[in-house]
Amino acid sequence: MSFVRVLFYFMSFIAIVSALYAASTKNLVRSIFVFFVTLFALAGLYVLALADFVAVTQVVIYVGGILVLIIFAFMLSGKETLNVIQQQKGKFFSMAKLPAILLAALFFIVMINVVLKADADNLGWVKDSIATNNTITPNAVMIDNIGVNLMTRYLLPFEAISILLLMALVGAAHLSRKEAKI
Amino acid sequence: MNYYITYFIVAVGLFSFSAFFALFGVYAERKISAFIQDRLGPTETGKFGSLQTLADIMKMIQKELIIPAAADKWLFMLAPAVIFIAVYMGFAALPWAPGLIPSKINLGIYYIFAIISIETLGILMAGWGSNNKYSILGAMRSAAQIISYEIPAGFAIISVVMIAQTLDMQAIAMQQGVLSPEKIKFLGFWDVTQIGGFFSWNIFRAPHLIIAFVIYFIASLAESNRAPFDIPEAESELVAGFHTEFTGIRFALVFLAEYSMMFLVSMIGVILFLGAWNTPLPNIGPVHLATWTTGMGCGILWVTLKTLGLVAVQMWIRWTLPRFRVDQLMNLCWKVLTPLAFACMLISGVWRLWLM
Repeated sequence: MSFVRVLFYFMSFIAIVSALYAASTKNLVRSIFVFFVTLFALAGLYVLALADFVAVTQVVIYVGGILVLIIFAFMLSGKETLNVIQQQKGKFFSMAKLPAILLAALFFIVMINVVLKADADNLGWVKDSIATNNTITPNAVMIDNIGVNLMTRYLLPFEAISILLLMALVGAAHLSRKEAKI
Repeated sequence: MNYYITYFIVAVGLFSFSAFFALFGVYAERKISAFIQDRLGPTETGKFGSLQTLADIMKMIQKELIIPAAADKWLFMLAPAVIFIAVYMGFAALPWAPGLIPSKINLGIYYIFAIISIETLGILMAGWGSNNKYSILGAMRSAAQIISYEIPAGFAIISVVMIAQTLDMQAIAMQQGVLSPEKIKFLGFWDVTQIGGFFSWNIFRAPHLIIAFVIYFIASLAESNRAPFDIPEAESELVAGFHTEFTGIRFALVFLAEYSMMFLVSMIGVILFLGAWNTPLPNIGPVHLATWTTGMGCGILWVTLKTLGLVAVQMWIRWTLPRFRVDQLMNLCWKVLTPLAFACMLISGVWRLWLM
């Protein structure tokens, strides 16, 4: 096995194990910190796939932003509220959890189906790009490519997302505003 | 295989450098603070007290590692390591001299920006894991402060990146001296590609970057949790903030991280704004000062000198200014620095399009 393949399996293993731990542990705070390990392992997988920009963005947005905000919400809520959430019914399977189990199982079936149907070794577009030499090398500079594509081909989705974020910002600012005294 | 051995040697070298810097950084801080407050500072251990920090670290190593009974054991033990590793990994992408960079990645500055933000998570881990109200207050203050100040720092960095048109630290450094592959103009009108020296530094290539540099410097003080932005530690209010419960070598690791962070943010500032490893001496007619003083050895010397200068300014500010209140801190960040940083970014775009 090549070094890259060893790394791939190693990081996939870490990602899966830490994700399972994050989902199953009863200590909510710890599960958030383990989620950080999952995200980091995923970033490593992106680097192996030569998508280093995506990997770094993942670290910036998820670890530096979203995870910290989740922990913030945790610390601002009192310990009693957390204890109520943490007291789960002892059994792993129960009637109350049936919808969640059903959803998870269905989603799992869909994913297995995708993996089996996709036939990853003979994908059409991969073969085409290898044939036309339209591939990237580990030393390629990808940001120019991303920037040009964002401003030309994907301009409409890009602008739609920016409008959405602006709406969220305005909403947050409005909600946190002091009410005028009457 | 030799490749991997080189990587290990580089990693160990960077670690010993940061440990060495932290030791003598603490000594310098104590001497500078003593000078500013008209005291003597450490005098007993060694000549002029120069062995004081070595004695301190010997004491730290021998101390018992105490884990509070109510603490979350794993989070508590891992937190100092996470804090330090986040800072230490940032060193991987910093260029020291022409052709001398531990890891030449073309996302350099973006990678460093991302990896530094993990430090926040380590601080939150320490705060929550200690199960101590002072620790958790300190950790929350720290997280709020770092997240807020990342925004002006990020926009100051973006305004440099827009001028330089690359995220590669080595390429940004290369553009600010006589080795530049492209034409450099001093203040946008005088061609100084052959002259080099301080004329070709980024802050003089585009003068609005001086404002961006000041914004970045203030934000970097906040990100390394140093006075006047030290509300996370605030001795007079919170005992010692998020590292209240740490003892022995774990406490030392937190301090190692703080001093490494000071060096790291100063070095990023030097690379982005103050000409990286390029000499401040220009070529004057037949006297090719810039060409003579650009090279491997001189590069390391210049970048270290400039960085240590910035670190000294950080210490000077710490012992001169009083601590900010939380609302003053947020006002400064959101109402002053962020709009100014946005303006810098806008000017950068216009500058790049019309004047370069």
